[in-house]
Amino acid sequence: MSSLITPVEHGRTGGLPAWLAHLASSAANWPTAYRARLQERPRRTVLLSALVVLVFAYPLLNRAVLQPFSRNVFPLPAPDDTTVVFMLIFATMAIGLNIVIGFAGLLDLGYVAFYALGAYSAAYLASPHWSGVSILLFSDLPAGFPGIHLPFFIIFWAAALVAALFGALLGAPTLRLRGDYLAIVTLGFGEIVPVFFKNLVNVHFSFGPIQLVNANLTGGPLGINPIDAPELFGIKFGVIHGFNAVYLALAVVAMSIVIARNLERSRMGRAWMAIREDETAAEMMGVNTVRTKLLAFGLGASFAGFAGAMQASYQGATTSDFFMFATSILVVIMIILGGIGNIWGVILGAITVQYVDKTLLGWVGNRLKDTGVAIGSPQLGEINPSQFSFLLLGLALVLMMRFRPEGLLPSRQRAAELHAAPPDQALGSAAVMEIEEEVIEEAEPEDVDATTDPPPEPGAASGPPDTPGRPGGVT
Amino acid sequence: MDEQLLQTIVIGLSNGLIYALVALGYTLVYGIIELINFAHGDVFMLGSMLALTLLITFGVTTGTDPLTAIALIVLVLAITMAVTATLNVTIERVAYRPLRHAPRLAPLISAIGMSFVLQNVGLLWKGPANIGFPDVIPNTNILTTVLGLDTSVAITYKHLFAAVVTIPLLIVLTWFVAKTKQGKAMRATAQDPDTAGLMGIDVNRTIAITFVIAGALAGAAGLVQVLYNNTTVWNLGFRFGLNAFTSAVLGGIGNLQGAVLGGIVLGLINAFSDRYLSTQWTNAIVFGVLIGILVFRPTGLLGQQLADRA
Repeated sequence: MSSLITPVEHGRTGGLPAWLAHLASSAANWPTAYRARLQERPRRTVLLSALVVLVFAYPLLNRAVLQPFSRNVFPLPAPDDTTVVFMLIFATMAIGLNIVIGFAGLLDLGYVAFYALGAYSAAYLASPHWSGVSILLFSDLPAGFPGIHLPFFIIFWAAALVAALFGALLGAPTLRLRGDYLAIVTLGFGEIVPVFFKNLVNVHFSFGPIQLVNANLTGGPLGINPIDAPELFGIKFGVIHGFNAVYLALAVVAMSIVIARNLERSRMGRAWMAIREDETAAEMMGVNTVRTKLLAFGLGASFAGFAGAMQASYQGATTSDFFMFATSILVVIMIILGGIGNIWGVILGAITVQYVDKTLLGWVGNRLKDTGVAIGSPQLGEINPSQFSFLLLGLALVLMMRFRPEGLLPSRQRAAELHAAPPDQALGSAAVMEIEEEVIEEAEPEDVDATTDPPPEPGAASGPPDTPGRPGGVT
Repeated sequence: MDEQLLQTIVIGLSNGLIYALVALGYTLVYGIIELINFAHGDVFMLGSMLALTLLITFGVTTGTDPLTAIALIVLVLAITMAVTATLNVTIERVAYRPLRHAPRLAPLISAIGMSFVLQNVGLLWKGPANIGFPDVIPNTNILTTVLGLDTSVAITYKHLFAAVVTIPLLIVLTWFVAKTKQGKAMRATAQDPDTAGLMGIDVNRTIAITFVIAGALAGAAGLVQVLYNNTTVWNLGFRFGLNAFTSAVLGGIGNLQGAVLGGIVLGLINAFSDRYLSTQWTNAIVFGVLIGILVFRPTGLLGQQLADRA
């Protein structure tokens, strides 16, 4: 459906209002644009439309046909509603993290921090946690009911805003670090945030007018519950209304896709990719790298805010235990597996990983149990495949990096980059070999182990494309 | 000085030495191929599990005759170091060497994957619970029993043991890197792998040897962990590994003396935070230190030996 929204060509002209106006006009022109697209690329359009219809019909199909069918006939199990909702929550996060890692090339290993911040923001704004106050807005709760209870459409955006603010706050001092140092800083941040949520339970604090005595700021290890279920237009979307929640989560993912696609094709998106390719070159071309990276970080984080608000409101509870380092890595795995840089790829990755983790492995365990009983060796049923999930995911990461770094559904550009040998590698290694032979002949034996060692493999010493230039200087 | 303060310093120093052993593995590998070897902490964890298993197999326990115990511990140390060294170099061969010329994030992600694989190997091997090990090395206070001092500060045989295993290894390593031909090859490769290759150094072999050394140190640290802290668990490598990596960064990554200094400083920070603040905040403080160092002084306390490689 996003193919119907033509991208904004120049992000600079007007910013957010212009973009909103553009979205509105795209929405208004929808039927015309669709007809034009149908004539232009009929096959693709029909297929995409079918996909959209299928996606929106899926929860119905799942409940009416697939679940009973799979229980008896179909070889693969269908996921239940909660698993589907979490597939979509993780898909939202994958879309957001893809902006940071896939578009801008910044490895963020603490993405879970923003998920946590989103979830706790939602929890603060829609639960009886702040029992000293009673703020109700569009709520059917009785007047004077303890706590803050704001409607979902407000907390959803508030959570995204909080996550984005913290993203910018973390990014401001750290984004000048390169590559793996940034990864470690974000990892540290991802570890610190849950520690704060876990420990700020009996806070004694006094600073000027602020006096806290034994204040429970975060609910401690128990977390915060109950959190109000999302409610829009009088329809509830909580965990007991799983079927509705699937549609809400679908809507969130659809919105995320539209935003991310537009960002990707905007001036900002091109700047991100320029920075990913070569930061120095991008800076030379006039890209404000600090601002651009900050925006990638903040905007990417806001998607985790959406996901966090969904998690908290959907489940009606949130605790710091949800937000482990493993969750950050899980989202990274989804992106890598699906196809880094490609929105459709990362969604596929999120759905696949979540499906395998939550549904398939449990099902395999049950089949093993049945088989064990049937063939008279019940110890077969004691193998619990679910406990292998991170082993499998870890292996998948290693193997993907080795054999298919571009993922299952790659972005064309990224695949080309990842597979590109340095353009003149053949030339480079030939030159290196020549030089090496000379060096070995002339080398003093006590200098290095040169005479006893076999010469390095041709690929080993060839290195970056600028290698041929240097030997030229030597000879 | 306050005796409590002195005790905290003793604990911090001996913990710091163990951090230093693992931190050296991070710093060696980062120095030579600029990779944060996420799997390193988990090699340490597997080393501790192996050492524990071997000690139990050989029947080393509380009350074993001291000479027999020492002989067996040395044997276990040798086996553990050999196994973890082999494991580490295998990981390098399988997961990192094929990615030598891939974009920089590829080996890092591969390392994270490897870390998960090793953690789960540990989980499948020993189960999810903490595994305890009895006190082989007595907790007797040397100061009061042997030296006859009147003090409440305790320096036990365990503290001594941590120092006796760690300090010689650190000296040998420093000598190896500074004085031997192979050490020179390592320094050359760290400085510029391409040029080192041109000078006739077998870059791949040098990197493999670096991984062997790092793995052996992790194995030694694993044994010390089991005998000193009396416990291991499958996810030990993650927490401990991050502490050790923080030590390496603190001292200036790529800098061997820096890693040792960083380990000791971090051990002290940990001990002081445990003692005077609260154990539940210690992790947050360690990461706070890590972030602070990276942001304000990315070259660490002693500075990087390698110019502009971060």
